[in-house]
Amino acid sequence: MEFLNYFDNVFTIYHIALLVGGTFAGIILGALPGLSPTMSVALLIPFTFHMKPESGLILLGAMYTATVAGGAISAILVNVPGAPANIATALDGHKMAQDGKAKNALHYCFISSFVGGIFGVFILIFFTPPLAALSLKFMSTEMFWVAILGITIIATLDSKSVIKGLLSGLFGLMLATIGEHPTNAVERFVFTDHLESGVHIVVGLIGLFAMPQVWNLLENFYAKKNRVFSATGDATLTQSFKLVFSKLKALSIGSIIGSVIGIIPGAGGQIAGIVAYDQSKKVSTNRENYGKGEPEAIIAAESANNSMVGPSLIPLLTLSIPGSPTAAVLLGGLLIHGIFPGHDIFTKNPEVIWTFIDSLIIAQILMLIIGLFLSRHSKWIMKVPDNYMAVGILLLAVFGTYSIQNNYSDVLIMFILGTLMYFGSKAGFSPVPVVLGLILGTMTEEKFLLGNLIGNAKGSSFQHFTSGTINIVLISLCIASIVYGVYSSRKSKKIKA
Amino acid sequence: MNSQIKLSTVIVTLFGAFLVYSSFILGDSENYLFPRLISATIAILTIMLWFEKGEADKSTNFKDLLPGIAIASAFILLLKILGFYLASMIVFFTLVMYYTKPMESKDFWRVLLIKLGVAFVFTFALYGLFTLLLKVHTPEGLF
Repeated sequence: MEFLNYFDNVFTIYHIALLVGGTFAGIILGALPGLSPTMSVALLIPFTFHMKPESGLILLGAMYTATVAGGAISAILVNVPGAPANIATALDGHKMAQDGKAKNALHYCFISSFVGGIFGVFILIFFTPPLAALSLKFMSTEMFWVAILGITIIATLDSKSVIKGLLSGLFGLMLATIGEHPTNAVERFVFTDHLESGVHIVVGLIGLFAMPQVWNLLENFYAKKNRVFSATGDATLTQSFKLVFSKLKALSIGSIIGSVIGIIPGAGGQIAGIVAYDQSKKVSTNRENYGKGEPEAIIAAESANNSMVGPSLIPLLTLSIPGSPTAAVLLGGLLIHGIFPGHDIFTKNPEVIWTFIDSLIIAQILMLIIGLFLSRHSKWIMKVPDNYMAVGILLLAVFGTYSIQNNYSDVLIMFILGTLMYFGSKAGFSPVPVVLGLILGTMTEEKFLLGNLIGNAKGSSFQHFTSGTINIVLISLCIASIVYGVYSSRKSKKIKA
Repeated sequence: MNSQIKLSTVIVTLFGAFLVYSSFILGDSENYLFPRLISATIAILTIMLWFEKGEADKSTNFKDLLPGIAIASAFILLLKILGFYLASMIVFFTLVMYYTKPMESKDFWRVLLIKLGVAFVFTFALYGLFTLLLKVHTPEGLF
């Protein structure tokens, strides 16, 4: 129950203000169609540079929690999910909006998100320390394979093509090698002065997530817009609470499935929401109403995508493998604040980590209160024109990038990288594996070089990397994840055909 | 294999070849060991990409996209000359004026004045937030 000792740190005026501000901004950003939680957290990281680590992480955590829940607003009112995690919510939520019950749907969404979110944070609290202790057994070769496993899983889950996903992850690793060699300080791939200091993690994060969004908004500016529904309905808050808690089966299915999927590296809220929706439909007595505006469907999907948030941090804090794309960005935030995930995270930085985890509980409560308040005015949030949104993101991206090191070269790298990624995404390449490769690149190379050195001293580097139970398990998991990726991609192609 | 997949595959192949060349030819074996491992794997995957039956690339609406890229590129280049805030106000105004929906443009001068006002207020808000409140450095130029 160590987590109870650090609540005092959360309840300072400064931290509460950060939580309220982060939640408020997160719900609004999440509600804007197309602004994903991943991009929102990436844009926010530079603003946390001047803060203490715990304050910065509190703000990022609040933003992560709120954007996932806020994405349901546009899913319900416009039928455009604010984030991939809200795809399942749109199926029934928008039907309710069409029937004049958008307010009811928004109530169910925020209440079930709150329940799922709290459940997920408690899973994080109780499962992280034992897993962190387990990571003590991970030496250089094991850590190398853990990094490769993380990239492999995200590459195969986040991309339609396994080959393109793996290539994206490898491009990310290559990006991380630009600049100084991690041990010899020899410059590599420095073809221009602008590349002298390499590609900073946050520069990559902002470029890869924010710039493609700017181009996407401008390219589709003249495309037809969907109708925005008002948040009308007959539900009172008490009735909504009663209804959500009367659907315990959907609530439990969503929370448990979301938590389990959150722990799986790279899976994320999109899968959590869809799987929970599907499983809840299978056991529901109202299954014929799914897709026609069934509250149970919204409850299952939203409790799942928010319960995923806490557990997605478990592999992140213990093994450096993010449980979701947004958690991958959060990993960048942790490293920038000097917090290195691993077995000693709770002994080296207990105050920072427990304060951060405790703040996630408060963030869930604030998400419920602010979410219910903002949902009444959500139609106005939807009306922000795309051209204003695009230029706003562009300016924030440029400012955020420059402020990292006061370096104009970073702005150029961010702009070029983001533009290349936009065209790459048209060809099926995903930014998430690239980012993970960039974030884990230096650590992966360091562990590889150390393992290689020890292996050579022992007689065979290859044998050193491929022997030992943990190494064999990790290599098997890498292969299994690639095989699964190939299988699921072939299966989805067959379904489409 | 359709022509669009071929184009993206060709670009990836050229890029992969460049990575292999710069890791194996330009770099020494000691410092480029890890990049060599990665670029060799990239090369193998690139060959496999040629045999993959993938979906067609999404088409790009260059007509609407390119003006945006041009305006944003000009902004990035002018950043150092004009400074962050002046360049921001200009790019804000230019982008929202260029990307105008047909229904907006009935009263041109009214739209222009409103957008100019929003650009000014937005830039001033950025100045208040970044420079006055957060005391963060922005690219300096004229302003």
